[in-house]
Amino acid sequence: MVKQLLRLKLRLLGNAFRRSPWQLVGLLIGLVYGLSIAFLVVTSLIGLRLATVSIATTGVTVFGSLLVLGFIVVPLVFGVDDVMDPRKFSLYGLPNNKLATSLVITALIGVPALVVGVIGLAQIVTWSRGPLAVLLAVIGAPAILATCVLSARVFTSIAAFLLSSRRSRDATGLFGLILLIVITPVFLLLLNVNWQRDGLTILGRISNILEWTPLGAVWAAPADAAAGNPGTAILKELIALAFVALLWAAWRYLVATMLVTQQRAAEAKSYRGLGLFRLGSATISGVVAERSFTYWLRDARYQVSLLIIPIIPFFLMIPLIIVGLPGNVLALLPVPVMALFLGWTIHNDVAYDSTAIWLHVATGLRGRSDRFGRVIPVLAVGVPLIVVASLICAPLYGDEGLLPALIGVGLGLLFTGLGLSSVMSARFPYPAVRPGDSPFAAPQAVGSASALIQGFSFLITFVLASPTLYLAYLSLTVPRSSGWGALAVGAGLGGLLLWGGIVWGGHIFDKRSPEILAFTVRN
Amino acid sequence: MAARTTPARRPAATRKAPAAAKLVEPPTPAPAPRETVLKIEGLVKRFGDTIAVAGIDLAIEAGSFYGIVGPNGAGKTTTLSMVTGLLRPDAGRVVVHGIDVWADPVVAKRNMGVLPDRLRLFDRLTGAQLLYYSGALRGLDDATVAARSADLASAFGFEDALNRLVTDYSAGMSKKIALAAAMIHSPRLLVLDEPFESVDPVSAANVTQILHRYVESGGTVVVSSHSMDLIQRICDHVAVVVHGAILDSGTMTEVRRGKTLEERFVELAGGRTSAEGMEWLSSFSD
Repeated sequence: MVKQLLRLKLRLLGNAFRRSPWQLVGLLIGLVYGLSIAFLVVTSLIGLRLATVSIATTGVTVFGSLLVLGFIVVPLVFGVDDVMDPRKFSLYGLPNNKLATSLVITALIGVPALVVGVIGLAQIVTWSRGPLAVLLAVIGAPAILATCVLSARVFTSIAAFLLSSRRSRDATGLFGLILLIVITPVFLLLLNVNWQRDGLTILGRISNILEWTPLGAVWAAPADAAAGNPGTAILKELIALAFVALLWAAWRYLVATMLVTQQRAAEAKSYRGLGLFRLGSATISGVVAERSFTYWLRDARYQVSLLIIPIIPFFLMIPLIIVGLPGNVLALLPVPVMALFLGWTIHNDVAYDSTAIWLHVATGLRGRSDRFGRVIPVLAVGVPLIVVASLICAPLYGDEGLLPALIGVGLGLLFTGLGLSSVMSARFPYPAVRPGDSPFAAPQAVGSASALIQGFSFLITFVLASPTLYLAYLSLTVPRSSGWGALAVGAGLGGLLLWGGIVWGGHIFDKRSPEILAFTVRN
Repeated sequence: MAARTTPARRPAATRKAPAAAKLVEPPTPAPAPRETVLKIEGLVKRFGDTIAVAGIDLAIEAGSFYGIVGPNGAGKTTTLSMVTGLLRPDAGRVVVHGIDVWADPVVAKRNMGVLPDRLRLFDRLTGAQLLYYSGALRGLDDATVAARSADLASAFGFEDALNRLVTDYSAGMSKKIALAAAMIHSPRLLVLDEPFESVDPVSAANVTQILHRYVESGGTVVVSSHSMDLIQRICDHVAVVVHGAILDSGTMTEVRRGKTLEERFVELAGGRTSAEGMEWLSSFSD
């Protein structure tokens, strides 16, 4: 059976190369990216052979723990599409143990397993410092591979099995919120570290903890041997092997359970009344907006963008902090970044509707109403957000006179982005995650266009909003100048571009609505 | 509403064909000339090298219950998509109540209620919200939508599901809510693609009764299906579509020529392949 399943896996991999040329390019880029990272890691591991034992221990343990953690977290959060899901074999009546073994062996084929395998071999070089260290590292290499591959299998299955109901997928938004709450203090803590001075000490402390966890034990065992502590070394190796055994038991149990368990169905939740539709149908745009807003609140794909947008500025700050930009300048970042991303959120809104867009086509809904309706929820959230964020950020920068310019930049970028999105989503929709799929899942069909369109939308938004940005820059650099000009131009020019985008996008929608529907049917 | 499987029953005394003795005759159409509410001329659609619809002409009078039958992949859905303005034809014209669908789509679409096959609904809305949204997009005011939603919910029997998300509905329930949404604006013409698929028999009888009442009051229904029995039972006109072309069309009696619709269909479509060469299926392996 192993032979058949291996052949199936190879065929599936082979078929990946038989899709459109652009998908092939994407696949090759992924391959090259993965392999070059592997190359980088392998050369570093070989280089660490020359470093002191303590530095090598810290480096290998922290990196190794992150690697194992990745194999646990990525499947859980991103819900990897599992082509070798045990449930797919449930109708063939295969013995559990045989199936579990075969599926793990097939999981060894593929880029991730290849990369981990090579890294596992490279750490033997790092620890070629005495017979016990080498012995433990040699045992460690397959243990590393087994830990990673089994973790991926177990946690992919857990994600597919336990988190597959619609209700729990919709809870992804909640996960994001929890993640945000957990990450923020950690982020703030790490911000206050002087990395150049204390970096190594702190990593060393982290490594000391990780060494005794299943994540780091397998990497740290040969290090202890090299440092002359055979007792703890063997203990850590045992922890690592016990973890592999535990994963294997969990995997066998999961396969056995999944084969005989029905897909979990979510219990239906009841809502009362018409919700946002109570606001009435005075204008058609208003009705479209009520529908759109309901989706922002209910659909995990929209919730995720709402949760990620406030986080993005912090992530952008990291490199700027490392470069050594003063803290008060960083306070200028959140407003424009959030405005830019908010305006960008609906640049593929039609694809999010998927084929449900037929209702708009069949009812002869005017493109302009469709476009405007989709913009309203973002305006309703975005404008107050920009004003409030500006009120917080301008004092943080240390100059409250900057408030109008900051608001101007925010509104300018938001309006411009929304105008552009209104055109782009009618003219250049590209495949998106389908309704009901995990918001982090890859779209069913990935075209060449998506990356190009995404980048292009950002670039054009910047270009169109450049007058506002320039005026805001002047108010920042020229003494005694006020930011009211930036506010006027940002709101005025932005508003004009928004209106133009809605009219133009609406015209495109009117002319192309059957083609837009055909596009959603294809994907 | 009582569920009856034989709506609009009529005495079977005038029938000649013995093969159809057990089947119920549909109402005979009134002799007076009526408006052609849907006119299809030379409709063609190609997908790459395959011709999905190869020149269909059809004229459907107001007040008819028109069935379109054909095997899977015959081009039924493609044709109906072009009729309803959802798919741009390569050639041909569709005129609804005197207005060209592809020249003046906004006006033409007002006269149509549409139930497409295999397209999603805005399923993160509750049933009530979806009905409201469909009605409001058609320009109905809030009071009308509320009243009609309540009527439709009780007629189709989904009052208790109105406050649940459509995504949690079963396939049959989704069909019913989509059907209700298609008729909420009381259109002149209803175009329903596979309306009875995965709908339970009781609900199907219910829906059929509602549609018959609608037809009696002058409305026009076009339904597609691959269930010959169903079409023969509920429709008064029928068109047989195979490989994107109409093989026969007219009143049910004309097309049937004294046989059941299924027998006539098999005859038109060129017989059926016999199930020979499958002997291995009768010798069971363990």
